[in-house]
Amino acid sequence: MVNRETMAQYLAIFVLLALGIVFGAASLVASALLAPRKQPSAAKLAPYECGIIPSREPPQRFPVRFYLIAMIFIIFDIEIVFLYPFAVILHQLRTFGLVEVLVFAAVVLVAFLYLVSNGALSWGPPKRLVEGMGSRTSETTIERVGAGASSSDRAA
Amino acid sequence: MSFLGFLDGLGGPHVRDGVIHLVVVLASVHALAAVTAIHVPHIRYLAILPEIVMLGGAVLLLGVASLSDRPVRMSVTTVGTVVISGASMGLAWWQWADVRQHGPFTTVAGAVVTDGFSALIAILASTAMLLTALVGDGYLRREGVEGPEFHVLAMVSASGAMIMGQANDLIVIFLGLEIMSIALYVLAALNPRRATSGEAALKYFVLGSFSSAIFVYGIALTYGATGGTNLAHLTSYLSTHALSSNGVLLAGMGLLLVGFGFKVAAVPFHMWTPDVYQGAPSPVTGFMAAIAKAGGFAALLRVFVSSFGTLRPDWRPIVYVIAIVTLVVGAGLAVVQRDVKRMLAYSSINHAGFVLLGLQAADARGVSAALYYVFTYSFMVIGSFAVVTLLGRSGDVGHDIAGYRALARRQPVLALAFAVLLLAQAGVPFTTGFLAKLQVVAAVVDAHSAPLGFVAMGSAAIAAFFYLRVAVLMYTPRRPRWVPPGREIVFDPIVGPQASTAAREGSGVSGQAEPEIAPGGSLDGGTAEGAVATVPRTLAELRLWSGSERTVAVVERLNADLLIDREAEAVEDGAGGRRVRVPPAAIVAIGICIAVTVVFGIVPGPLVDFTHHSTLLLLR
Repeated sequence: MVNRETMAQYLAIFVLLALGIVFGAASLVASALLAPRKQPSAAKLAPYECGIIPSREPPQRFPVRFYLIAMIFIIFDIEIVFLYPFAVILHQLRTFGLVEVLVFAAVVLVAFLYLVSNGALSWGPPKRLVEGMGSRTSETTIERVGAGASSSDRAA
Repeated sequence: MSFLGFLDGLGGPHVRDGVIHLVVVLASVHALAAVTAIHVPHIRYLAILPEIVMLGGAVLLLGVASLSDRPVRMSVTTVGTVVISGASMGLAWWQWADVRQHGPFTTVAGAVVTDGFSALIAILASTAMLLTALVGDGYLRREGVEGPEFHVLAMVSASGAMIMGQANDLIVIFLGLEIMSIALYVLAALNPRRATSGEAALKYFVLGSFSSAIFVYGIALTYGATGGTNLAHLTSYLSTHALSSNGVLLAGMGLLLVGFGFKVAAVPFHMWTPDVYQGAPSPVTGFMAAIAKAGGFAALLRVFVSSFGTLRPDWRPIVYVIAIVTLVVGAGLAVVQRDVKRMLAYSSINHAGFVLLGLQAADARGVSAALYYVFTYSFMVIGSFAVVTLLGRSGDVGHDIAGYRALARRQPVLALAFAVLLLAQAGVPFTTGFLAKLQVVAAVVDAHSAPLGFVAMGSAAIAAFFYLRVAVLMYTPRRPRWVPPGREIVFDPIVGPQASTAAREGSGVSGQAEPEIAPGGSLDGGTAEGAVATVPRTLAELRLWSGSERTVAVVERLNADLLIDREAEAVEDGAGGRRVRVPPAAIVAIGICIAVTVVFGIVPGPLVDFTHHSTLLLLR
């Protein structure tokens, strides 16, 4: 038996689907019709259209530590996402809820410990060097960048 | 001054709007909590203890490794993992015994079921985990990958597969699917020094997330059509409501099939498989093949045979077509692969097609056969990839099929082990592979889909070719470098029939510039395969045959080149043809895989009974 009311609930999905297809197609068509056809100038093709033209390539890679900070943020963000609704219904869940949330918090804590043990919060030179990466730390990189800059200056 | 006015003064309308918004949200959450009384479901913790041990063990291991001052030694991690998976396996066996005595039951408000089926999947997942820990140990040491991540992620993934086996609710299936898959995405990227590893992980992640989204869409549509996600609810709803034309339900079912099809690598959704299997670290690939197929098929069988059972006429034709395409494409494309990992990837697609036969049969016998297939395949594939791991050498790159040539001469035991595992995958009698194929084909023929059975047997014949090719290659001597103006056809396992070696046999002696030798002086290797009597074997014969001294001169010069070639080959043997180191843990893992494959192939009773009973204990 077809449940017409149930079907009707899905009307919105189909409308959204149709809208999505129309929007996608319209974007492509509009882009083809409206886009400028002339070749871009050299300035347009530069990595940065504005600003100082780089005279040389960046000499070294340097450590990007911010992603670990972002991971820490995500971990605690997720924890809060669950903690807040739990706090609202704390009394209804009684002991069961408390235990479950403590278990959850413990798992999150282990994730945090893992990040910290991987040096997410230590911004100095790493205690343990990863094999194959060389002895690259923030300090050596700065030294190397400085040396590279001076040597290239000398060359120039 | 009112509160809102205070806010206006404080930070302008933006702050005020934000606070109002927050208050409304908080109020609505409170209202929701007030109107719906929460019943904490009764939980039988023993029912989910294998998962708890596996997941808890993973967290514990990670915590210990994080807190310890110095890096935890790999042996400690491996032993810990083996102990944890062993404990989990023991609990699963205990569950199996309990279910046999007292029957299946559900818990956590019917969202989790413990029956023979789930116990079997739990045993399978924990065993696969144990074997993978042993295989991975040697790999990680060789590659110099430190840290407990491999073992921890694998255990998380295994617990996901166990949850999929126990799930009695579409949402819980999705939960298990994600726990399993996300850990596998990371595992595929485990080796940071291989670019292909990262590429494989990214492909798997993007396509896997996409398929998960499709799966969730399927759940949503199914929920809309039936008003629930619980499998027991689905079963009862579909058996009590006659559905004449319910497009939403069918669409939901189709999307669920697509989601599952992706995870088990059925053909229209198999595109990720070769790249991911090839790129992922070899032990991970074996684990992935075993776990993802076990979890995916467990949930697929439970949902479709049990809950969508009344819709059989609708989904059986679809599965019929998918199974045929999967069988043919998997076997056909595996033939042309040169990379052994990629070949095994396509062969795993072919195996998925066989398991789909069990689903297509859609009865107790089919489910039992499919379970048997998944169970035995896990051992074969983990064992195979354990051998591939060892032969990949440092860097995990030596997977070209040419590297397997003459392995039997260098390492006879390893070659024999790989040959047995490959032959088992091909379905040779006295292995579990044969019984697995026999059972699914028998089930599907019984279910009046005989043509599908024929296609399956045809694809098994094609598959036998590429398994045997590797097996034969391992027992084939090195390929001759010099192919004279050939008339003789020798079958070469890599390139197929080829012109070869008329004068090769003579070369060893004639290269010493001594034309006067007895016919057929020295023979090696390939002559037995196809020497032709009319072809000259020695320079003396050649002189008679060609009637030209000039030809003889050319051949002599070529023979001199051949000698140089042989010296070069000897040098290569020193560098590339070395024996690979086989760590003891890997020996144990491969030994267990072969023992299960061969022993239960010769004495099929226990394992067949095991899967049969698990199916009978499937809670409907």
